[in-house]
Amino acid sequence: MHYLDLTILEIHDALVAKKVTPKELVIEAIKRAKANNDQAFEMITEDVALNQLQALGEPEADNPFWGIPFVLKDNFSTQGLETTASSNILKGYIPLFDATVYQKLKQAKAILIGKTTLDELAMGGSGTTGHKGSTYNPFDPLHERQVGGSSSGSAASVAAGIAPLGLGSDTGDSVRKPASYAGLVGFKPTWGLVSRYGLFPFAPSLDHVAFFTRSVLDAALTLNVLQGHDPHDATSYPGKKENLLPQLKGDVKGLKIAVIKEVMDSINDEEIKEQFYVTVSKLKNLGATVEEISFPLPLLKAIYPTYITISCCEATSNNANLDGIKFGPGFPSKTYIEAMTQARTQGFSELIKRRFVIGSFALLKDNQDVLFVRAQKARRMIVNALNKLYETFDIIYLPASPSVAPKFSDAADKLSSTYLIADSHLALGNFAGLPSITLPIGLKQGLPYGANVMGRAYEEKTTLNVALAIESMMGLKNLKAPRD
Amino acid sequence: MKKVTKTILQDAASRLMFSLSDEQFDVLLNEFEILTQQMELIGQLEGVDQLAPMTFPFEVTVESMRSDEPSVPLTQTEALTNASSKVAGQIKLPKVV
Repeated sequence: MHYLDLTILEIHDALVAKKVTPKELVIEAIKRAKANNDQAFEMITEDVALNQLQALGEPEADNPFWGIPFVLKDNFSTQGLETTASSNILKGYIPLFDATVYQKLKQAKAILIGKTTLDELAMGGSGTTGHKGSTYNPFDPLHERQVGGSSSGSAASVAAGIAPLGLGSDTGDSVRKPASYAGLVGFKPTWGLVSRYGLFPFAPSLDHVAFFTRSVLDAALTLNVLQGHDPHDATSYPGKKENLLPQLKGDVKGLKIAVIKEVMDSINDEEIKEQFYVTVSKLKNLGATVEEISFPLPLLKAIYPTYITISCCEATSNNANLDGIKFGPGFPSKTYIEAMTQARTQGFSELIKRRFVIGSFALLKDNQDVLFVRAQKARRMIVNALNKLYETFDIIYLPASPSVAPKFSDAADKLSSTYLIADSHLALGNFAGLPSITLPIGLKQGLPYGANVMGRAYEEKTTLNVALAIESMMGLKNLKAPRD
Repeated sequence: MKKVTKTILQDAASRLMFSLSDEQFDVLLNEFEILTQQMELIGQLEGVDQLAPMTFPFEVTVESMRSDEPSVPLTQTEALTNASSKVAGQIKLPKVV
């Protein structure tokens, strides 16, 4: 066992006790990153890490991120470091400023090990559409299975034990679904709690900063350091910061937890369902009230088309600045129109182009009312129903995915008329901006799967307490893929 | 709503300033058929069109004004850093006329 294999809190204790040095951690992390063959990295930031090490000074007992290695999804701006969002249209783009979350981790003296792969421009859920190709699930040495996306590289590197913390972004489920497939804790706090300044926008009404850790308390610690109002982000929450850690004891007594029957009915994997109900029984034993309730099926069926329509429309608009002229690869052309057309034709993958056409069509004057605006109205209807549920219940608790990580051969990036409600319900948390955390509850033939806890807006404490109780009951804290 | 045809989609792609192959347009047409059907089902949700569109999860109200402090903008050199073609302190484009 290496100290790098521990959780952030445990590594911190070892650092303060001088049982390990940041340099030993960083050297091991870089070694593992270089040896990793899951296609998790856009860039290993060895020089940055070694420079940061020089400036560390003495251990800081009250700073749990002092000397902690972490990885960052490559759609966060990093001054002086190429940032492509795994898209060829941003090849060679070097940001002039840092994303606020990166700045905060640097100020906390955490050490950047690498920038990680993603589905191109974060628009995907498979980890297969980035310009470097597919990212593999570290739990499957045969490389037949996805790790999920879009935050695929951060998920793979935390699951592979390269770092105990990986930052990602979550627009529909892009951290919480991969967390399920990779046996990780994936936490998306309430919309606005964490600044999005410097995160490349995909669909800003749905985008959240989120993160992977290997324990619930590490997720709480990470929120502690990342939260806070940011004048650079107009949607940033202006309220007070809150230290969550002392409030987390895993106490669920008296809480009312809802399980949505229609989502459970759409899951075909009996082993996952059975294990989920084991956790439900244990929550009841701890004093929580858990009820299986009904949610209007037409609204659950509306989640996916509502999400696709809104996200494609917002993405089309937000990515109009990617013209290959101000930044990105330039193409010799006779006219500026030809230059932009060449850059966008060669710079975007087929999937991205199809999504942009969907968005553009839905935004046409003749179509807006029945596509984009109707999707926004459907979103309100879904959120109204969700908020109604939260008048009675504190938490909604469900399996985070209907299966273990799918094989690449079983996945498609095209819209389908047959999809499972259980595959799209995590987007509820993005529609309503709610705190939502995935954590592992079991392994099936060596492949992990998780459950998701979603609370009311700004009720991180309750959400994390329920997650902590489940983590304590199931004994899957600090799960990692087996190493060779 | 406009009927979705290959011509309409070609026009949309052209306005977005990229091209797609015939096979890619065929995939898109199929996707549109699915999406249109699903959105029609959404249109049948009772009362949906009476609701106000939801553009953000919830209002985030900032009540204080940002202080009026001068900030450092990008220098010309910085603004040009990522442009692949530049001349005399400006981004260079092919001649329009």
